[in-house]
Amino acid sequence: MAKRITIDPITRIEGHLRIDVEVDNYAVSNTWASCTMWRGIENILRDRDPRDAWLFTQRFCGVCTTVHAMASVRAVEDALKLEVPLNAQYIRNLILIAHALHDHIVHFYQLSALDWVDILQIPKADPAATAKLAESLSPWTRNSRNEFKAAQDRVNAVASSGQLGIFMNGYWGHPAMRLSPEVNLLAFSHYVQALEYQRKALQVVGILGGKTPHIQNLTVGGVANAIDLDSTSALGMAGLEMIRVLLDEVVQFINQVYFVDVCALAAMYPEWFKIGKGVTNYLAVPDLPLDSQGKAYDLPGGTIMNGNIAGAHPFKTASDKDFREAVSEDVAHAYYQNGKPLHPWVGETEPAFTGWDGEQKYSWVKAPRFNGQPMQVGPLAQVLVGYAQGHPLTRKYTDLAIGKIGAVGGIRVTPDMLHSTLGRHAARAIRASMLAELAQKHLQLLTDNIAKGDYTVHNQPVFSGHEVEGVGTHEAPRGTLSHWIVIKDEKIKNYQAVVPSTWNASPRDRSGAHGPYEASLLHTPLARPEEPLEVLRTVHSFDPCMACACHTFDPSGRQIAKVKVL
Amino acid sequence: MKNVLIGGIGNVLLGDDGVGPYVARLLAAHYEFDDGVEVADLGTPALDLIDQLSEKDAVILIDSINTDADAGAVVVYRKADIMRHHPAVRMDPHSPALVDALLSAELFGVAPADVLLVGIQLGTCEVSCSLSEPVKASLEKAIAEVMNELDRLSVGYRWREQPAENDIWLDHVGVEHNNTEREAQSPT
Repeated sequence: MAKRITIDPITRIEGHLRIDVEVDNYAVSNTWASCTMWRGIENILRDRDPRDAWLFTQRFCGVCTTVHAMASVRAVEDALKLEVPLNAQYIRNLILIAHALHDHIVHFYQLSALDWVDILQIPKADPAATAKLAESLSPWTRNSRNEFKAAQDRVNAVASSGQLGIFMNGYWGHPAMRLSPEVNLLAFSHYVQALEYQRKALQVVGILGGKTPHIQNLTVGGVANAIDLDSTSALGMAGLEMIRVLLDEVVQFINQVYFVDVCALAAMYPEWFKIGKGVTNYLAVPDLPLDSQGKAYDLPGGTIMNGNIAGAHPFKTASDKDFREAVSEDVAHAYYQNGKPLHPWVGETEPAFTGWDGEQKYSWVKAPRFNGQPMQVGPLAQVLVGYAQGHPLTRKYTDLAIGKIGAVGGIRVTPDMLHSTLGRHAARAIRASMLAELAQKHLQLLTDNIAKGDYTVHNQPVFSGHEVEGVGTHEAPRGTLSHWIVIKDEKIKNYQAVVPSTWNASPRDRSGAHGPYEASLLHTPLARPEEPLEVLRTVHSFDPCMACACHTFDPSGRQIAKVKVL
Repeated sequence: MKNVLIGGIGNVLLGDDGVGPYVARLLAAHYEFDDGVEVADLGTPALDLIDQLSEKDAVILIDSINTDADAGAVVVYRKADIMRHHPAVRMDPHSPALVDALLSAELFGVAPADVLLVGIQLGTCEVSCSLSEPVKASLEKAIAEVMNELDRLSVGYRWREQPAENDIWLDHVGVEHNNTEREAQSPT
């Protein structure tokens, strides 16, 4: 008899990811991913000035502020056929990279590492043995016995206080936790250190963007940074040098800690290369433009269908015709009035809430489709699409990861194994190392261009009387983000955001095809169905980001989330 | 010099949920503060809140709350009130917000000694850039709570004769916003 398990954050009023799985004989037999709140925030943009849109869109989501700002100005620029000066491209690229590095570090250490690391094992670890193990993995200078001892002391202090604090909700001692005490301590120590480096990445965003979490330097047609080499208030040599120093530290942490930890984790949980495959159609758009017209990019985009890496189809530009014409949203299982799948430019958002019904409608998330097919987006899509095209930087770090995992685990690893839960983690680390290298490159490009005497940062937008459409894309930390705008009489006529988590968390479509979260959970083995750690591991591997909504503090003390077993 | 964060939390596109950022912007526009005081519209930061809270002597947060009280009720919470709660099962990076951020900051040894949460009971969270009437009427009270805390911390502030420039969302509130400014002109 199948058991139904619901994982649902219950008490906050904001929308959240809810996962329902049916478990039969200790394995997942059916799944539903849903979002519990209607957003429709795009409607607030109607009739506003397109030049203001980014100020609103960066409020869609408190975690992904920057990416929504960037996609928005790019959408308007695409509609107006407006070029963006080189300095502005480089500054934007640096902001996007620094944001992504911050996001990836936070995701791995703060959100998902404790799915794999058992805090209760840490008091048993030998700090000296941990240091020895760590030295064999990485040249990171903070892998010392003293650092590990200090990290262990922190855990001991929490454990002896009787207040588990932040560790209250972990599935500690779960049979799916299999790391040695020393590896647990190693990872935990880096979890503590990560805080410093994620902040440094954010400081880069702050220096260039004026402020975090909401940057202020964007404008349709470029950026608003004044460039003056000798000034300390405008962007000059002092600011560029500060960014260089910060980036150097972040890059070192990414390469010597994050990348290595993910490889080591993968080597120690190799069975997770066989779990969590799901939808093997992948989508990524080109990003990090290298010229003012958006014809050359540092990161490639394209599609892979049915896991056929050799048959990948590349996109030439970030708003490639093959992308912009292929996207539609299906509402067969979403709480909207039924109709045929619609392109975002003519998208409608007419709510029709009917309550959760797995056979009918069960989510506020629409089902985006690419030529009618569900697509997985995110670092795995980015890496596989690049790898398929022989993109040198993607190959470099993918091969490095595959080699490292193989060496640590004594196993043979192939790119095909990346279609998995661990593959998503590995791909995120690969992507982070690629971005780290590109951060330094784009800082150099910016410095060199300024040194040539080019201080231009902005082109003036010019509106025509005609109705125009545009799409602005960004290959965000969680995957392909696209903002779709229709402009008439200098006002916004329609605006739709198709966000990465919409692709990944999509419900079934009219043909019954599962979205990526749903598909990835099928057949997942569960050691203890009432403690569905394995489900969380796979869901977390996507780095879900659903709420983008209210953040009300609930002082009642009710438990914030529940796991319900029926 | 004390490092103090005055941070408004909430989504400015969702009606009363934007009250925290709204209060932060009013404070920044109308007051000057001692060095070391940062007034910030934090939006909905979730785990990034750890970064914001880190290495501050004191933190004053303004946020909407969801209780049985009437809309516009202002309730203050101290650190111990907040940290009594369970952290969330982490589904996505939004789920763990204030409680988790504070617990994490404690673990990392970077938590502020003083935390005050000024909570304002929300009325509606519909998609909108403006506040409901009951919440608007409570702005003065919320600001007074912030100022009381600054007094308690012996942190100085001064009323600006010429308010600094506000922000796009406040502009859209129009005439009502001007009333709010006048209401806010009698600091306690």
